[in-house]
Amino acid sequence: MEKKTLNKEVLAAVRHVPLLSVAAARILDLTAQVDHTLADVMAVAKNDAALTARLLKIVNSPVYGLLEPATSLERAISYLGENLVVSLVLEDTIGAYLNKPLPGYGGGSGDLWRHDLRTAIAAKEIALINRDRCPPDVAFTGGLLHDIGKSILSEFLKDGYQEILAELAEKEVVDFVGGERDLLGIDHAQVGYELARTWGLPEVMQMVIRHHHEPSLAPEDLKPVVYAVHLGDIIAMMGGYGTGTDNLFYRLDQRYTDYLVVGPEQMGMLMLTVEEKFNETVETLQMR
Amino acid sequence: MAEIVLGIGGIGATNTKGATLKTYALGSCIAVVILDPQTRTVGMVHVALPDSAIKPEKVATLPGYFADTGIPALFEQMKRCGTKGPQGLIVKLAGGAQIMDQNNTFNIGKRNALAAKKILWSFGLAPVAEDLGDNYSRTVTLATDTGIMTLSSPGKPNWHI
Ligand SMILES: [Fe+2]
Ligand SMILES: [Fe+2]
Repeated sequence: MEKKTLNKEVLAAVRHVPLLSVAAARILDLTAQVDHTLADVMAVAKNDAALTARLLKIVNSPVYGLLEPATSLERAISYLGENLVVSLVLEDTIGAYLNKPLPGYGGGSGDLWRHDLRTAIAAKEIALINRDRCPPDVAFTGGLLHDIGKSILSEFLKDGYQEILAELAEKEVVDFVGGERDLLGIDHAQVGYELARTWGLPEVMQMVIRHHHEPSLAPEDLKPVVYAVHLGDIIAMMGGYGTGTDNLFYRLDQRYTDYLVVGPEQMGMLMLTVEEKFNETVETLQMR
Repeated sequence: MAEIVLGIGGIGATNTKGATLKTYALGSCIAVVILDPQTRTVGMVHVALPDSAIKPEKVATLPGYFADTGIPALFEQMKRCGTKGPQGLIVKLAGGAQIMDQNNTFNIGKRNALAAKKILWSFGLAPVAEDLGDNYSRTVTLATDTGIMTLSSPGKPNWHI
């Protein structure tokens, strides 16, 4: 009975979240379209002075080792690539949520962002193996956003994770999201979905966020990308980049084999590539 | 007090009084811990994958990344601290967590543990204690003075093996 009111409080919190910046909303819209180009992304970024400055600063940092400073945004973006631009846009506009400590999950500041970035890179690598069905850039952005609901739910979860861990040990719930629903009447995927709707995120992002722990419930045409993020999330957790108390208490949906090819012989290389790409990206984004 | 933190693929060995070896957030990775009671040397390697055949060129820079190259490299480091041979060494393993309902493709944790045991076996060693598998991530701390291996995991009280 208490659950129902909690669930209302969570949804009320979602409604109080500030809106996305215009540039962020437009770039997210663009990147969700299968046929977009880098030039489209550039055209939007150009109109955002703060974003332009940040991109130029990064591309001129020692990591890139350019002999002459890049002054034009075109050059900056072609060096960085679209995924990094999207990461920056998201960090600038909803960084407050992505970087927030997650007391309910025992996660510190930046843990969620690192988990999301790791998931994004893994989802993209899986999409690259399945290019014909799954657009890699969409998988990347979906990975960045998939757990955004945790930033809101964490406040309500507080010490409740102890109860969920106890329920898991007693097999009263099957996974951590089940525990969240049992305790709060809503789970982080559902909260994220509500947040995505409030922000007017593209349909595919809404579905990735909503179904990343239950990909079989996603609309048929979006299943490959939802499964890619589902697996990317698991690879992030296996690599030691989870968000805390939820550990690896999530289920692998075995039906991914109907939509994606990821064989046992590819798995090791996938984990290795994700690790290397992640370290590169963290350095480029000058995180920490 | 010196705290040596090992990243993924990191190898550490020390017999300095008061020093600790630590590695954070083992998911499917495993920590192979070796204690030498003779020289009071402790060693640890943070292994990510079972077999270096997947990317042999990585071995030169980060042998600890793989079980087959990481464990011999750890022995080498311990020898520099005075450890004689594999005889008399104490081995403990931790990590190798998995997602719920894992399948053959996603059981890297189990494969890491099996590979580590196989390599240890070839040196005539077997773990005296292990905390492997299950669905939680682990942080491992090893104290030189006591040889005590402490494990922690988000949402759980610390424990020893
Ligand atoms: Fe999640
Ligand atoms: Fe996640």
